[in-house]
Amino acid sequence: MRIPDLNTRIAVTGAGIVCSIGRSKAEVWRAIVESRAGIAKLTRFEGETFPTDIAAEADVELPRGKRLSRTDLLAVLAAKEALEQAGDIPLDRAVVSTGTSTGGLLEGEDYYFQRLIRGRRRAPASRVLQQPTSGPSDAVAQAFKLGGGVISNATACASAGAAIGMAADYLRSRHADVAIAGGSDALCRLTYSGFNVLQAVDPEPCSPFGANRKGITLGEGAAYLVLERWDDAVARGATILAELSGYGASCDAHHPTAPAEDGRGAEAAMRGALSEGGLTPAAVDYVNAHGTGTALNDAAETRAIIAALGTDVPASSSKSYFGHTLGASGAIEAVVTVLALQNQLAPPTLRLREPAPECPLDYIPDTPRPMALANVLSNTFGFGGSNVSLLFRRA
Amino acid sequence: MRIPITGIGVIAPGAIGIEAFRALLASGQSAVADVDRFDTTGLSAHQAALVLDFKPKEFIPVMKMRRMNALSRLGVAAAKLAIADCGGSLLPETGVAIGTAFGPVQTSVEYMQEYVEKGAALAPPQLFAESVANAPGSHIAIEWGLRGFNVTITQRESSALAAAMYAATQLAKGTVRAALIGGVEEANEMLFSVLDRIGALAHNGTPGMILGEGGAVLVAGAGTRKPYGWLAGFGIARDTTAPISDWGHDEKSVVTAMQAALDDAEVTEVDAIFVSANGAPRGDEVEARAIQARFGDAVPLVPTKQVFGEYAAGGALQIAAALVALDEGRYRNVLVNSISAGGGIVCAVLSREAA
Repeated sequence: MRIPDLNTRIAVTGAGIVCSIGRSKAEVWRAIVESRAGIAKLTRFEGETFPTDIAAEADVELPRGKRLSRTDLLAVLAAKEALEQAGDIPLDRAVVSTGTSTGGLLEGEDYYFQRLIRGRRRAPASRVLQQPTSGPSDAVAQAFKLGGGVISNATACASAGAAIGMAADYLRSRHADVAIAGGSDALCRLTYSGFNVLQAVDPEPCSPFGANRKGITLGEGAAYLVLERWDDAVARGATILAELSGYGASCDAHHPTAPAEDGRGAEAAMRGALSEGGLTPAAVDYVNAHGTGTALNDAAETRAIIAALGTDVPASSSKSYFGHTLGASGAIEAVVTVLALQNQLAPPTLRLREPAPECPLDYIPDTPRPMALANVLSNTFGFGGSNVSLLFRRA
Repeated sequence: MRIPITGIGVIAPGAIGIEAFRALLASGQSAVADVDRFDTTGLSAHQAALVLDFKPKEFIPVMKMRRMNALSRLGVAAAKLAIADCGGSLLPETGVAIGTAFGPVQTSVEYMQEYVEKGAALAPPQLFAESVANAPGSHIAIEWGLRGFNVTITQRESSALAAAMYAATQLAKGTVRAALIGGVEEANEMLFSVLDRIGALAHNGTPGMILGEGGAVLVAGAGTRKPYGWLAGFGIARDTTAPISDWGHDEKSVVTAMQAALDDAEVTEVDAIFVSANGAPRGDEVEARAIQARFGDAVPLVPTKQVFGEYAAGGALQIAAALVALDEGRYRNVLVNSISAGGGIVCAVLSREAA
């Protein structure tokens, strides 16, 4: 087996994004610069009653696709932007690596309801065939005729971070020459209801790291990065947006849904990323935090950042703009992180009126901050205590 | 670099534990039988390879078991058997990579039933916690305190082999000292009836696949037992002619993945191929043409899915079967193929030798 060569640098040569604050990098970045969140009344599930009624829905006209779920179509839309930016890549050696938590569960739910009403013989099966979590990778690969393989990562909310890290490894071990790596998740009833029954949804737009935070705001969207070996990207004259200089992955081994309160797993993931990138903690200029807005995450993540990086590094939660996009969050926030590096501007945490006492860091409240950003971390954690931290460097 | 597999735990159709699994494979018999777990009246297919004699209480304390869905129980029980089999213990720096084709479909169904009956605010949180595909991997990490990477791969028929590829890559990189690699799958009424509805299941002489299930976990990089075999190389590709949920017809893509696995393992030939073939005509045909193109008629083909079905332990039973054959000295190097509906292909070379 070839060992992934850590001296092989990984270039980001394309990025695409769709979420509640925009249908492209340009729209998303404009909203970030203008401190404009995309959180509003939930409209998706007409006739359903939930304890909370806000969400970060992606208002977007999706491409048509036979047998494709909303999650699949969001993925295709984001991948299109990323691939168009990357330009001429070897399609037959391009692997698709996607993280998704729910896949086409939204369509699966339609089928479950139909079965309950009409019985299994009369319910049309076409919707439930869109449910598998392999759908987004398969859909992207099919849409763009990519022949380098498909991998789907369903590691709850850490899915897309893991998918991006995995893709970098396969470039370093030369199992592929290009990777379209990202994540996608559409809102569905099960997750909207599920986080509510866990009492993890804030009835107001989420306020990560705030004293009065009550939980997450559920969002949806998709994002992809095009990754290549640095030398290949240079050789073909591609514009390099940023470098993915390392990642770390860990598990809390603590609880099925709650993070370890001491933040040990998150700390290990950040340390792993620094180790792979050959950096000292002091070299990290900014952390795009997981920052969900739950009492447990924000406190544990803050402890982890302090333990891994100290108290001087600013950290912010982009989820204050577009909510928690679950399995897609690692990719959506990776794209935001790349945009931050390109623009030398750190996105803020919106609505942080009063920071919590257990959250003593600089969370960049309210407005974006111009900063010299060379090395930045993007954190993604999930149910089951799975943690991924991606390390990006300015190109 | 090659990755030793020193422990195997299986909760398989017709076999609990590696020795029973070995005996099942040696017997030439099949675990496929008429389904009586759920009602197949009105469906075309009536057979599956089901795990019938698994008693989770024998593996998991009752209080913990109550918090686990069927997939998590299969995964934790298989991990317990695998760790016992490897003759050692695991350090905290151990990763977990689990494959599952369809994941917690049954848990989602049960959740949505409660949602309909009780309302969106009153469905059980416990079911929601288990509705994520990575719940089995999480329970395994919690049970043995494993703090390395923890990922769950859901790439249809290739899920477990793709999980093995990732874990082996991490061991090669040195980010963990050891890893548990495996897969889980549950054959439930929902999955069976939908596959039946689209004509994917074999019935009345019509070719198709047999649905399997189970849990299997392999111990990589830890333990004292003589290795069953080594993970020696992997190859991935995709058949760009494949529709979104069926197999394509481009055998060259399969050859590409097989050759990539051989190259990664630094071998030029293998002694047997543990084929992907599962009875689905299009998938079987594209693989047969690819094998013919690359190997001719020279290499023995070892089908396994007539024994324990497709998706058995997320595909991990196919890997376990290949490792048992290496352990018994029947082959030096084998190729394991998995070709997925949707076009994904993952191939691996497993070897009896460390280098």
